Amino acid sequence: MVLLTNPIYSALSLGLVLVCISLFYILSNSHFVAAAQLFIYVGAINVLILFAVMFMNGSEYYKDFNLWTIGNGLTSLVCTSILVSLITTILDTSWYRIIWTTRSNQIIEQDLLSNSQQIGIHLAIDFFLPFEFISIILLVALIGAIVVDRQ
Amino acid sequence: MMLEHILVLSAYLFSIGIYGLITSRNMVRALMYLELILNAVNINFVTFSDFFDSWQLKGNIFSIFVIAIAATEAAIGSAIVSSIYCNRKSTRINQSTLLNK
Repeated sequence: MVLLTNPIYSALSLGLVLVCISLFYILSNSHFVAAAQLFIYVGAINVLILFAVMFMNGSEYYKDFNLWTIGNGLTSLVCTSILVSLITTILDTSWYRIIWTTRSNQIIEQDLLSNSQQIGIHLAIDFFLPFEFISIILLVALIGAIVVDRQ
Repeated sequence: MMLEHILVLSAYLFSIGIYGLITSRNMVRALMYLELILNAVNINFVTFSDFFDSWQLKGNIFSIFVIAIAATEAAIGSAIVSSIYCNRKSTRINQSTLLNK
């Protein structure tokens, strides 16, 4: 995705990445988040990004030659060092000891519910206040985007 | 074994997102790399909630909130980029010193 020059190709490859991440969510036994990712990210956000890409003038992008400046090289060095440190941290942590010590308080009825029902229960009871705040934030953001776009 | 593979994938996507966000000269591409970073973080959350927290799913719920916030900032970001483009006919980040005039 980094190496594609045309921004429309880049936006379509972002869509492909988001669909593949949704398949990973199905693998992790969380079907609600997979469906939410597919609807919201691919269906709404990717289409919004495609609108924003197509709204810009397309002729100025072919002059955007991919210079490999010193800043690019330094950033790639820093990013590969971040990646290597993260991978060594992941591979050095003994995950199975943590799983074994947190295997406690299993609620028996919850094994018969599906994943979306469990999320619904927890959203409505335990996390009700963040749910309301998120809806207020979405409302405010919608009004703000319309106000910015009126000029 | 499975947990580490998905975490390595998430770290890889995160580092690609950081590299693309810093070195993109185009504001719309910066928005796309920011969405990639948020997705990498979401993979981490959902994987941990699957392996460690199958009974209360706190990671899953927080990842739904992260998806909602990412939708919000994508909308606001594209509105801001559109208004900058209407004012200035160009979206290159390294030309933003034109505000000094």
